[in-house]
Amino acid sequence: MAQKVLLCVLFDILEVPSHLDDHFIEMRSLIKVYPPDTLALDRVDLTIKEGEIHSLIGENGAGKSTLMKVLYGMIPASSGEISFRGRRVRYASPREAVATGIGMVHQEFMLVPSYTIYENVILGAEPVGRLGALRNAEARRRVQSLIDRYGLNLNIDDRVCDTSVGAQQKVEILKLLYRDVDVLIMDEPTAVLTPQETGELFRRLRDLNAAGKTIIFISHKLDEVLELSDTITVMRRGRHVATWENRGLGKADLARAMVGRDVVFSVEKPPACCGDVVFEARDLSYVDAGGRRRLDGVSFTVRRGEIVGIAGVEGNGQFELVQLVTGLAPVQSGQVKICGRDVTRAPVIERRKLMCYVPQDRKASGSAQKMSLTDNSIMTHHRLNRRIESGWRALLNPAKCRRFAQNLVESFGVLAPNVDTPISSLSGGNQQKVVVGREFLFDADFVLLDQPTRGVDVGSVEFIQREIIRKRGSIEGATGDVGADATVTATATAAAGCLLISADLDELFNLADRILVMHRGRIVADLAPPDTTREEVGEYMLGAREPQPGPWGGAQAGEGACAR
Amino acid sequence: MSKNAITALAGIVVALLAGLAILWAQGYPALPSYAALFSYSLFSKFAIVSTLNKATPLVLTGLSAAVGFGSNCVNLGQPGQFLIGAMAVAAFGIACDLPTPVMIPLAIMVALAAGALWAGIAAGLRRRFNMDEFITTLMLNFIADYFTLYLISGPMWDRTTYSPMTKMTNPGSWLPMWDGLSAAFVVSCVAFVITWVIWDRSKLGYEWRVMGQNSAFARVGGCRNEANFTRAMLLSGALAGLAGGLMIMGGMQHRFVKGMGANYAWDGVMIAIVAANGMVPTGLYALFFAAIQTGAMGMELETAVPSEFALVLQAIIVLFVVASRESTRLLINRWAAKLRARAAAGGAQDIGKGEGGERRASGH
Amino acid sequence: MHLVIEMLRSSVLAATPVLLAGLGGTYTYYANVFNIAMEGMMLIGAFTAVAGSYLAGSWVVGTLAGMVGGVVAALVFAVFAVYLKTDEFVTGTAINMLALGGTTYALRQMFRVKGAFMSPMIRAIPRIRIPLIGALPGIGPVASGHPFLVYVTLALAIVIEWHMFRTRYGLRLRAAGEDPRAVDSVGVSSDRIRAQAILISGALCGLAGVYLSLGYVTLFAENMSNGRGWIALAVIILTRGRPLGLLTMSLVFGFFDGLGLSLQSTRIPPQFTQMVPYIATIVALYLYSREKKRVSAGQAGQAG
Repeated sequence: MAQKVLLCVLFDILEVPSHLDDHFIEMRSLIKVYPPDTLALDRVDLTIKEGEIHSLIGENGAGKSTLMKVLYGMIPASSGEISFRGRRVRYASPREAVATGIGMVHQEFMLVPSYTIYENVILGAEPVGRLGALRNAEARRRVQSLIDRYGLNLNIDDRVCDTSVGAQQKVEILKLLYRDVDVLIMDEPTAVLTPQETGELFRRLRDLNAAGKTIIFISHKLDEVLELSDTITVMRRGRHVATWENRGLGKADLARAMVGRDVVFSVEKPPACCGDVVFEARDLSYVDAGGRRRLDGVSFTVRRGEIVGIAGVEGNGQFELVQLVTGLAPVQSGQVKICGRDVTRAPVIERRKLMCYVPQDRKASGSAQKMSLTDNSIMTHHRLNRRIESGWRALLNPAKCRRFAQNLVESFGVLAPNVDTPISSLSGGNQQKVVVGREFLFDADFVLLDQPTRGVDVGSVEFIQREIIRKRGSIEGATGDVGADATVTATATAAAGCLLISADLDELFNLADRILVMHRGRIVADLAPPDTTREEVGEYMLGAREPQPGPWGGAQAGEGACAR
Repeated sequence: MSKNAITALAGIVVALLAGLAILWAQGYPALPSYAALFSYSLFSKFAIVSTLNKATPLVLTGLSAAVGFGSNCVNLGQPGQFLIGAMAVAAFGIACDLPTPVMIPLAIMVALAAGALWAGIAAGLRRRFNMDEFITTLMLNFIADYFTLYLISGPMWDRTTYSPMTKMTNPGSWLPMWDGLSAAFVVSCVAFVITWVIWDRSKLGYEWRVMGQNSAFARVGGCRNEANFTRAMLLSGALAGLAGGLMIMGGMQHRFVKGMGANYAWDGVMIAIVAANGMVPTGLYALFFAAIQTGAMGMELETAVPSEFALVLQAIIVLFVVASRESTRLLINRWAAKLRARAAAGGAQDIGKGEGGERRASGH
Repeated sequence: MHLVIEMLRSSVLAATPVLLAGLGGTYTYYANVFNIAMEGMMLIGAFTAVAGSYLAGSWVVGTLAGMVGGVVAALVFAVFAVYLKTDEFVTGTAINMLALGGTTYALRQMFRVKGAFMSPMIRAIPRIRIPLIGALPGIGPVASGHPFLVYVTLALAIVIEWHMFRTRYGLRLRAAGEDPRAVDSVGVSSDRIRAQAILISGALCGLAGVYLSLGYVTLFAENMSNGRGWIALAVIILTRGRPLGLLTMSLVFGFFDGLGLSLQSTRIPPQFTQMVPYIATIVALYLYSREKKRVSAGQAGQAG
């Protein structure tokens, strides 16, 4: 690495042309329209040099992934041209891209969960003998030698579904190494990793780079980009904004280019004021159908007026915790109390009278995509809200339902042509606003938020985060720090207690008053953001630190956090 | 809504043209056949009455399938529920002899209950043992078929006849006819309105519809999916059972005859599919299919095309309407994308020139 | 003794169509296509087989025609479900209807009959006597003298087990069923794999139809598949698509089917004996669900 930098400097001084190809990959005037009329790429030009680590940054929906998928032959460009090593190319499929040496690791892993690591690696490039029968011996040796050479530390006979997210990412990289690619495109590889795993990934990427591979790194995390790359390209709304060498750049420069204006890095948050306990989990344990212990004696409380964050690598019990709290799965042992009421055995609808819940995946469980905005916004209200029923209680009043949806659209700034359009026609951010709005229109004291801003554009993230803080309330209480969005009148202004589950540490540090860390079904730490660091949280997430002496959830812990 | 109607119409037209091509290829006089098809189903009072009578079971089995599929209950058991409903009414009508005003409402209840019961078996197996309802309902069809066949050729056989059938029911359970139009059609209209209100206006119907689109969403929202599943199955079964019961109460024969309802019940599944489980479209397609089936008889008389051609035509209509619904959107979107890209590229040249100019200027 | 041999013999005969259709369904099962159209493909295959055999006077032509019939139905299914993105359940149901209506119509249109068509001009597929085993008492009548398709089917079960789990095609097919994006991302079209799986299942269901109309009996009757395609679907669910598992389960169903036939000599009304295979399917599904529940409960108990 150091040698390379030295060489670069040398070339700069002497103005000697580098032996490396400066026009390794060239994209010219690429346009991509997703049907029917989403302009994802708008005349993008980009040049990638051989042997560099080139970062692409931009908000969600800026077109980074689309651009790379076009390069990788996964989706066809609507127009424009690409050349690779001076030759014009137009890949009809990823297979052709890989054959010429370009490979991509997708943000969502493209692995077959029930297959072994070995089977996943060879899939699509299988060694075959007569009649298409697989011939494994030699290929297994080759895969193993690649693992050894790049220090990937994988067991090739493990099933992918039994391995960690970090390992799965390595499998994706291994797939490309097996196919002998020269260019690795990494699409937001750190989104799912802990800080420690990210460090490990960066070491592997630098090794690969030193071994001569060109790396294109897509991210929206500015620190990472500044740490890793030689060159940085910023995209915004499908356009190429700028390409800079990574010398003397700061976060603010990148952020301004990304968003097109100055950005505040955290949402303003008035201090919390804790009231009575609105949620209490006592000694919750859960064993899944496969016999794995998913939750192990989890206890904690949430008080009115505070946001309790839950951090943890996905699959460490957060999912089960949500299931037990919402009543989607039966409590096997332990107790759940909302607003002082024991709801351990209560059905979902009974709990929904006391809490509101923003589910993790708006497509899977937060909405019915083919149904209208109105139908999506009256869910649960149809049972609890008397104002949308007709004279006869078993029936709904269509006009009142539409008015209700109209009110939601206006209160939460949802961009939609009308309330009868299917919700699938809205953008991700607007869909999420509908979901959050629907839930926040309940007058409940306990709010459960499961990844409330995942996959949403920055504007909507900001809006939703501010709504969450408003829901929590502050010292000023009912008057609240409403600020710019004083138009929001429908939201209950009384303070509520929030439980926020998020894989995004930035979000937790922005919003939470306390952070509980989950690891292997237990709560291993109770931290307060001003006094902790992302690294500390990360170590607890990985189990690299001894759990704090518990138990948490007694009133002491709640009070302790509140005192801060 | 109107866009959907247009794609549906386009699909129907293409399907009818395909049917025309089939007739033509087989050497039948294609156009006169179609003329007969429609004149015998629509263009006389008798034709319309026949069509409406034919539509009665189709509306009900169509609603049955639509309620089931729309709530994500794959009830493929309409044939069985139909037969059990018919058999129950036949047995009731033979066993009881009461005045008409008592007998008819009771017979309707019996039909509803019998169909619901038969569907309820599958619903119970699903809830209690998690057995796929689409297989159990299919198997129950065969069981119902053989069971009723056993009854009409054994214990309930009318020994005065040569082929297996039951005795006639008592006249108290017969529905009146007005100028050939059976009151059964009126009953099916009432059932249609009630089902529409439940489906499109009630809280329960809302929960069913959401369950049909995304059951996880319904569950998270606090709907009791298990109970709703059973309720939807029961209503679905009851409607199919009513269709069977009305075949005994209306019409001319007033008895359970071997092979009755061989096709009606499957037609219901097809109707629900083309109607995309909507209630109003289900009613309309039921009338349309009834017209085709009625007209096919006329077609056989006039141009000797076997009346089974109606079955072929219906299946083709289903395929084309469904395909046009799903794929026109795909095609239109793709086409729109192409236009947009061209526009963007056109803009590129203009702006490119402008920027080029700037760059040159700044270079100086 | 004679009765036992007769029952075993009839169970082999009755198992064959379910097994053939089930083997076809294995491909769609692993490709994650909800193939409810097997019933219709089988029925069309049975009809085109009879038509081919009758018109050409040759069982070879009949067999080929049956397979082509199944493949053509599958082609319609594949075009609509895979390429036009129509719902699989909807397309499959429509094809079943088309098969039922189409064969009934064609029966009248081509042969001018209603209900069933039989003729001495229809050539059945030949039966094979196995030289040595055929002479053995007891085993001989059970194993020998069946239409040759029975033996082809047994061989196919083994070949398909190998094809599915030991070859490149099988690896890709199963991957496409589990996560189509994973396959697409390495440059193998999952759509194409799914379409191929549907076509293969069409060919095998067509063959099952051939067996019904040229092997089991020598005639074509309206709706003669009589739910066997759906029983095959149930068997696939029960065995999770494993071809060798299918082999065993089909024999069990064949046994019950044969049991129904054997019981016809008793005083039980024939309608009840004919119900047996369908009731057996429900019972099998019940046992399967109970077993599944027990296994998962057992695992939970161990860990807890």
